[in-house]
Amino acid sequence: MRRHVRILPLLLGVALLLPAAPQPGLSALSTCPAHFVAGDDPAIVNPRLAQDTREICYSGYAVLHSGITRTPLWSAEHLTRDRVADAEAMTRENAFHPEPSLPPAERAELKDYQRSGFDRGHMAPSGDMPDPQSQQESFSLANMVPQNRENNRGLWAHIEMAVRRLAERDGDLYVVTGPVFRGETLQRLNGRVLVPTMLYKAVYDPARRQAGAYLVRNEAGDQYETVSLAQLKDLTGIDVFPALPPDVKAAAMPLPPPLDERQRRRSRTTAGGGGRGGAEGSGAEGSSAPSRR
Amino acid sequence: MPTSAKPKLQPFANDADSLEIAGLTIENGADSIAVYGNLDLTRDKPGLEKARTLKSILDAVVQALEGDKALPDKIEPPKKPDVVKNPFG
Repeated sequence: MRRHVRILPLLLGVALLLPAAPQPGLSALSTCPAHFVAGDDPAIVNPRLAQDTREICYSGYAVLHSGITRTPLWSAEHLTRDRVADAEAMTRENAFHPEPSLPPAERAELKDYQRSGFDRGHMAPSGDMPDPQSQQESFSLANMVPQNRENNRGLWAHIEMAVRRLAERDGDLYVVTGPVFRGETLQRLNGRVLVPTMLYKAVYDPARRQAGAYLVRNEAGDQYETVSLAQLKDLTGIDVFPALPPDVKAAAMPLPPPLDERQRRRSRTTAGGGGRGGAEGSGAEGSSAPSRR
Repeated sequence: MPTSAKPKLQPFANDADSLEIAGLTIENGADSIAVYGNLDLTRDKPGLEKARTLKSILDAVVQALEGDKALPDKIEPPKKPDVVKNPFG
């Protein structure tokens, strides 16, 4: 029910505003459930978050966009071993762009981020996108939040890398990434875009029937936490994988530590350059947090 | 996958272009071009290709800066975000 209600205004928006523009909402109707565990999109539990939201489905991911924050609230992908291999073979030349399917009053514009001191932080990473279309779609501002520069370029990039390696090792993962808006007050860019206080990246590993989430503050540094989906729901007001049973949500899966690309290249060399699964794949039973340092 | 020999990125022309050379990201901007990540320039043909791509971008950046008659001593500092009540609090 809820999903239909949300998709309708989107289609309407696309039809009325941008007849000639790319129409992610349309292609999405068929591909969207594929991004979610059992086809169920993340559920908003805190009703205040649900205000002015629209679900947008792309070929490589889906987002729930908020016209209040002018950011996504979640971004969902199904990451497979093959998809990671395809994504890593890509040469990338893309362009950040405002989301054409959103009403201008609700969306972020490039100028909102201009001279803000913040990076445009991808929620669904471009590094997970396996083809030119999904690559370009991942540069929509509907997939971006204002992110601390150091965080985006360091810790967060390394968490993204660790998640790709986990998908390679176990075959596939469902991933939901998003911002957390906590506290009495929030920072705002250009009078329009709200700055999240934290970021989360939740994964469900079907091969292990385990789930958990990374949680980081939107600031410089290497500190991160891992939490259960139940804890994440209390913090964010979002049930990221509603289809999962309570016991899976209650237990925090041990997640691999953030991974520097340079470490990865070294580990590939020592593993004989295989790459897929490689060093991590071997000893994996029961220890899903291989020590890399 | 093909490597793009001559990237289209025109330095400081917009706040949109993003280019990746292996693990190195280059983001165009009117005030600042971000370069981050890391890259191995290997002693082989792909290494030469990457080095050429990187060089062509850096050459274009230097040329743009050298040719800028109004080049300031320093760009303006970032705009300060304002602070608002949390709508979800």
